[in-house]
Amino acid sequence: MSAWRVSLYVLPVLALTAADARPHHAFSPVYDEKQLITVAGVVTEFRFVNPHAMLLMDVTDETGKAAPWVVEFAGRLNLSEFGWTAGSITPGERVTVTGNPTHTGSQRMFFRKLVRADGTELLPGNAQRLDAIDEQRRRRARERDQQK
Amino acid sequence: MTLVSVRRSRPGLLVLMLLTCTPAAADAQAPSSRLEGMWSDPPTTPEGLFCFFACTDAGLARLNGLLDDPANDARPFQELQAEAKGYEREYIRSLLTPAALKRYPFDPADDPGFLRCEPWGVARQIFAPHQIEIRQRGADRIELRYGEWDGRRTIDMDGRPRPANQGPTAMGHSVGRWDGETLVVDTSAVAANIIMLPDLQAMGEHSDQMRIVERYMRSKDADTLLLTATLEDPRTLREPLVLKKIWRWAPEQQITPYEDCERPAEFKKGARP
Repeated sequence: MSAWRVSLYVLPVLALTAADARPHHAFSPVYDEKQLITVAGVVTEFRFVNPHAMLLMDVTDETGKAAPWVVEFAGRLNLSEFGWTAGSITPGERVTVTGNPTHTGSQRMFFRKLVRADGTELLPGNAQRLDAIDEQRRRRARERDQQK
Repeated sequence: MTLVSVRRSRPGLLVLMLLTCTPAAADAQAPSSRLEGMWSDPPTTPEGLFCFFACTDAGLARLNGLLDDPANDARPFQELQAEAKGYEREYIRSLLTPAALKRYPFDPADDPGFLRCEPWGVARQIFAPHQIEIRQRGADRIELRYGEWDGRRTIDMDGRPRPANQGPTAMGHSVGRWDGETLVVDTSAVAANIIMLPDLQAMGEHSDQMRIVERYMRSKDADTLLLTATLEDPRTLREPLVLKKIWRWAPEQQITPYEDCERPAEFKKGARP
């Protein structure tokens, strides 16, 4: 895998795990939830289906050779809760995707973050929920401190 | 329903449910009309996320204790939730029989839903994430349809007993009745299968002796659907296990086709979440 423009790093302790994507089964048998990798390439297909949406992309290595990668998502049932549609990712788009690698190091990952060429990002819906709750907690803590 | 309301109504969600549900005589509508329609993922609240699959009062109390402690203000919710879920798993472990403990937590690589795209049995389907659609079908039946696996259950409301020749099935046999505006569903004749105890990170197995009594109530503000499910299985549980779940009123949601399940091309046994 080292020939590909892939960066591999260990997750911070509190980073999201695949479990937080609320899938219909645990992903730990396929993906290493303690690590993240990032690849860049061009989208060839986005399948907005259940139980798991799939992104197919071509990732080019340093010699110019392209190889197909698969990015697995939570399902359409889950993603549609956050406004995703079949057009959320379009073929031909250049994207950089971060996700959990497989245990075998195959050209596949579980989605954690996608960055488009213009810098806009797509994140799992549950990350938005967690951010919203931590904001609620910060607000309540401020209110409590003001009452002292 | 807010975290504050949960905190003020200790010992937990059960009390909250009882306090927030409309009295039976307060509404002239048929009881089913209060529940009918589309519900989906819970509101974005600590208890909503904590009970995304299912939760216990013990787990909720632990979570609220952590959230109430100013010393935890700087700790992310995800960390507090993980700590409370760990506590909850130990609580559930204490309820399991020695036979059930041998396979708890179940290796997710052995999950037939993962290995063979086998739809869930009722004990897992009840707590499925995402959509649940409740519809009255004729005078004597209610249908529960789930987004996950496009699972469907029929609840007989006419009091007829289970046919003597009906053996255990994946969805079992469900009979229902109204207790005021609460839908009470009693399910038995369930084939042995997998159960979330209380989520995908900690699954176990149940026997064909499993009996589940579900109580569905709509909150007074009408925004949430609350489930209290009591599970009994003498081969798995030393005493009844009570699990809770919350959905949000979601008329904008729809259940989409569930037909692209692929069996895994690669996986590793023993890799715990």
